[in-house]
Amino acid sequence: MGPDPILMEIFRITRNAWGQETLEGISWDLLPIAAALGVAIIIGHLAWRALRRKRPRP
Amino acid sequence: MNPPVQTASDRITRHAPIDRIFHWLTAIAVLLLMGSAFLPIVGWKFSWVPLHWITGLVLTVAVLFHFVRSTIFRRLRCMVVWPRDFGDALKGRLAAKYTLAQKLMHAGLGTAVTVATVTGVIMLAKVDTPLWTRNPYLLEASTWGVVYVLHGASALVCLTLTMAHIYFSLLPEKRAYLRAMIGGQMSRAEAAEFHDPKRWSGQRKDDPHENHP
Repeated sequence: MGPDPILMEIFRITRNAWGQETLEGISWDLLPIAAALGVAIIIGHLAWRALRRKRPRP
Repeated sequence: MNPPVQTASDRITRHAPIDRIFHWLTAIAVLLLMGSAFLPIVGWKFSWVPLHWITGLVLTVAVLFHFVRSTIFRRLRCMVVWPRDFGDALKGRLAAKYTLAQKLMHAGLGTAVTVATVTGVIMLAKVDTPLWTRNPYLLEASTWGVVYVLHGASALVCLTLTMAHIYFSLLPEKRAYLRAMIGGQMSRAEAAEFHDPKRWSGQRKDDPHENHP
């Protein structure tokens, strides 16, 4: 049985010469997700900022 | 009509020269470290290891310096996120020297950089350099895995938060902070927009006036 497929998406796991699973690090598939999260923060803040400016001040 | 002339007393000091040098040195180091780590992953192949470990050493020295300076020689409490900061932000009260958003960004990016630095120093044992010989057997294989995971995860957090940090610094309404990080000062009017003069006067000797529990 291989490693858990969900774990494989978060971590890099390899097998050594004796068939033992070895943790190699974080999965680099997460790199675009981290960048996308940064873009989401920027777009989210720009949208919030635009809405706040349109709202009349009391 | 001529614009009002700003006098020297209209300006207050936000960042000492040594803190600005630390900030920009750390910024360059973090950008170089992320570039040398992530560009090879996305397909830009180059000899990234020497650039990465040498820049990592520079960042380690800078982080150690900042840690000692801010905990022993400066008032650490002015950067700590207190429950009161959330109340102030929710009620629209002006902040002391640092706003809640600034404190949270510092806490997040500071933690990520610290974790990346500590794990990076451990990982130096796997690199052959003119200064030391590699020792890959320093830790068990499973422990190395945990070190790699922490290093990679903190690097990804650094990427997200650095993007946000640069974006916020470029916003027109926050440009005074960027100018203060370059030149050290901001006007009293700019400071008064987000900071309570009674809690942060901009006087180096008595800044900030924070009464925390």
